[in-house]
Amino acid sequence: MIQKKICLLGATGVGKTSLVKQYVEGIFSEKYLTSIGVKIDKKQVETENQTVQLMIWDIEGIDRYCGFQAKYLRGASAFIIVTDHTRSQSLVEGLDILKMVKEVADIPGVLAVNKVDLPASWHWSETELAEIKQGFVQFFNTSAKTGDGVEPMFTHIAKVLTA
Amino acid sequence: MDASLLAALGFLDCIVFQRLSPNEFEVLYKAGNWLDELLPETVGSKIFSFEHNSAYLEDFLIDAENLWLVNKNGRIDSGMWSEQLSNQVIRLEASAVVADKKNYLIVNKLNAKYKQKQETLQIARESLLTADKISAQHDYLHSRLEELLSETERAFPANQPVTQALAQTDLGVAIFDTDLLLLNSNPALRSIFDDTNIKTNLPADKLLLELFRNQYPECERIFSTASSWIGEIFWLNPPLQGKWLKLSIQPIKNDAQEVQNWLFSASDVTQVKYLLKRNEKLTHFDALTNLPNRQYFWQNLEKKIQQNRPFYLLYLDIKQFKRINEIHGHLIGDEVIRELSIRLNNLVNADDMIAKIGGTEFAVILELKHSHAQISSMDQDYAVTFAEKLIGTSCLPFYLSSGLKCEVGLNVGVAAFPKDSSSAEDLMKYADLAVYAAKKKSISSISFYSKELVDASRKRIEMEDALRNALQNQEFELYLQPILNLSNGQIIKAEALIRWHHPDGHMVSPDEFIPLSEQTGLIIPIGKWVIKEACAILKRLTSQGEPIKLSINLSPRQVGDRQLFEFISDTLIESQVNPQQLEIELTEGVLIDNYDRVHFLLAEVRKLGISISIDDFGTGYSSLAYLQKLPIDQLKIDRSFVNEINENSQDSDGAIILAVIAMAHNLKLEVIAEGVETELQRDFLKQHNCNIAQGYLFSRPLPYDEFCELLAAQKAKK
Repeated sequence: MIQKKICLLGATGVGKTSLVKQYVEGIFSEKYLTSIGVKIDKKQVETENQTVQLMIWDIEGIDRYCGFQAKYLRGASAFIIVTDHTRSQSLVEGLDILKMVKEVADIPGVLAVNKVDLPASWHWSETELAEIKQGFVQFFNTSAKTGDGVEPMFTHIAKVLTA
Repeated sequence: MDASLLAALGFLDCIVFQRLSPNEFEVLYKAGNWLDELLPETVGSKIFSFEHNSAYLEDFLIDAENLWLVNKNGRIDSGMWSEQLSNQVIRLEASAVVADKKNYLIVNKLNAKYKQKQETLQIARESLLTADKISAQHDYLHSRLEELLSETERAFPANQPVTQALAQTDLGVAIFDTDLLLLNSNPALRSIFDDTNIKTNLPADKLLLELFRNQYPECERIFSTASSWIGEIFWLNPPLQGKWLKLSIQPIKNDAQEVQNWLFSASDVTQVKYLLKRNEKLTHFDALTNLPNRQYFWQNLEKKIQQNRPFYLLYLDIKQFKRINEIHGHLIGDEVIRELSIRLNNLVNADDMIAKIGGTEFAVILELKHSHAQISSMDQDYAVTFAEKLIGTSCLPFYLSSGLKCEVGLNVGVAAFPKDSSSAEDLMKYADLAVYAAKKKSISSISFYSKELVDASRKRIEMEDALRNALQNQEFELYLQPILNLSNGQIIKAEALIRWHHPDGHMVSPDEFIPLSEQTGLIIPIGKWVIKEACAILKRLTSQGEPIKLSINLSPRQVGDRQLFEFISDTLIESQVNPQQLEIELTEGVLIDNYDRVHFLLAEVRKLGISISIDDFGTGYSSLAYLQKLPIDQLKIDRSFVNEINENSQDSDGAIILAVIAMAHNLKLEVIAEGVETELQRDFLKQHNCNIAQGYLFSRPLPYDEFCELLAAQKAKK
């Protein structure tokens, strides 16, 4: 069985840890608890071709208290940039992170627009979003709370990585 | 004290391995039983190899191996990570160590430290997220209103879209006229100050203005220089706890860049402040830099004044920081500010105080090492030396963790206690005025508050008013400087250069009024006038049988104007001028600062048939990569290089020109030499295949009629 490392990146409070928890354990908690450092979870995914073990690196939110650490991307096969559509700034920061990732790694990236169970309150127009999405191989609207889009996102990544 | 006792006390919840060879380790010490579950390969044997049970730890071994291979005393840390065991989550941090030629790997269990760090960061991040949401909403609504107000051609009170937007928004808004008299405000603003416990004597708009005036000595300067401002004000509404408001102030200008309204918008950010208060450190210290914040600095400034000993107040503003944010993003911007704050703090003496008092602003109270009542010239030298050190350290490049290199600068404004004033408000106001003066210079500068500074500021405001009137009163004129083909001496085109006939009779040099126009935004209407006038001249010349080409200069701010292309294209159509008769000149600085925008603009104007020239080439550090990618036709060699050509130094100093000529020819670009003043220079240029030139040797810039006479004389000679 092959293993693939996937890094979850994004601003603080966008729901990275919640997405992993929903995907791996099927659990969601409303309480926001900030992460420190890295936590790695594993999950096996069956694709048409083979079974792949995803090693999901949930990395501390990147903000003024914690900078971008290029070393976490070492050996990664893909990355997910998570944003929160109730907070415009999370996409601005997501794009900053995308820029930094592109400087150190040539691997596919997926954009997760999270918290879609809540009404959108960011001010990005459809045209702007369409342009932003072009920087990624795929994007998913996700809700760590309801689970919408979460499994399809990780399955899609597994498929891309085993194709 | 032995290890078992330390472990029992909880001091040594760690594992120590010794690396025997690559991928062969020996367990030297282990506390608790978490190791057995984390790394089962260690069970039953002291010597083991890692078997992929901890992905994070084994990833860290790659970095550790590099340290161990060098085998010099040292240590690197892995950063914290978490591991899920069967019935608990453990928080770990590993260190690779070389001591006395031996290699160790230490894994510390840090659950208590993790929890402590998480608690601190939880509060900080919750407040950050709340602030972020309020701030984003505030900025968005503010910019939408600003857009609506700028778009309108109708007088404000009758403006339907603005009135509707105001009624619906959650943002408290007040719109004032130029005398700061209220034109309109909205229910949201009234509800901010609507408190049943308090009777406010002032209406909401007046209260907002009063709070700003009382709390920010910079206020006069902001209004007099039509600057925008964002910050926080505090409304003390006893017996309640008071409200913190985020306030944005924006001048709304018309097409002629005259202020027609002031837009004030306010949001209640008390909740953010409440979250910050839960962590005392965050109340007095800036979260990004850990330096004292504005409130704390203000308290100290007042205490300092009470001590009644002379000191300097330095107001520092980071130069060109907006560019860093625009080019590299806010995270990099934050990293630069953090790094800069460390550098500045390292230069400040223990008795002095440095604080971060705004988004890109710091302030320093600089103690003087004596107790004389007055400030001497030696003190001033001391302040200059200190400020120079601050500037020096800020100008050094920043090498960031992502491998990026950034550069900023620093402007320093200085006011002295008690020489300039004995009040905290005045000192801050004067230091702010001084830093505003320093900002005008292109390089990092120091400016001391003085009467001359106030006079200069007044003069500048007068000049700004005069400039505005100049457009209305048609005091500008385009002069034309011929550009010649050196091989036959014929005028092939001309550069249009603006001149200002001041009403008092003297001619104001463009060097004086163009930078001011650029700073105030007046360059947009002035630039439009130049384009219109150049097209009108082209039409007249063509109708007189002289279909010559004219080049016009575009400034950085003009290039940033999104309507520029449309304006050029419309003007060409209206004036029925062939676009191929128009040429645009841009300096290298414009290319570098605004590459994406410039690339798009140039591609569009080129499609129309307009040609493009790079002005002052050789002075602005543009790279070949830029030149190759941009659609340009000519390079204009800066006059400073042409000046260097003289009888004594032809060979060495001409080297730069020769290199530029060769490079331009390789890139298949034309080369134009500017500032040719002597026959020697002309001959040198001809000899080295630079066949197009302008300069006083051929003609100074001429009024239209004289230029036509020159053309006629040239025709007659043929």
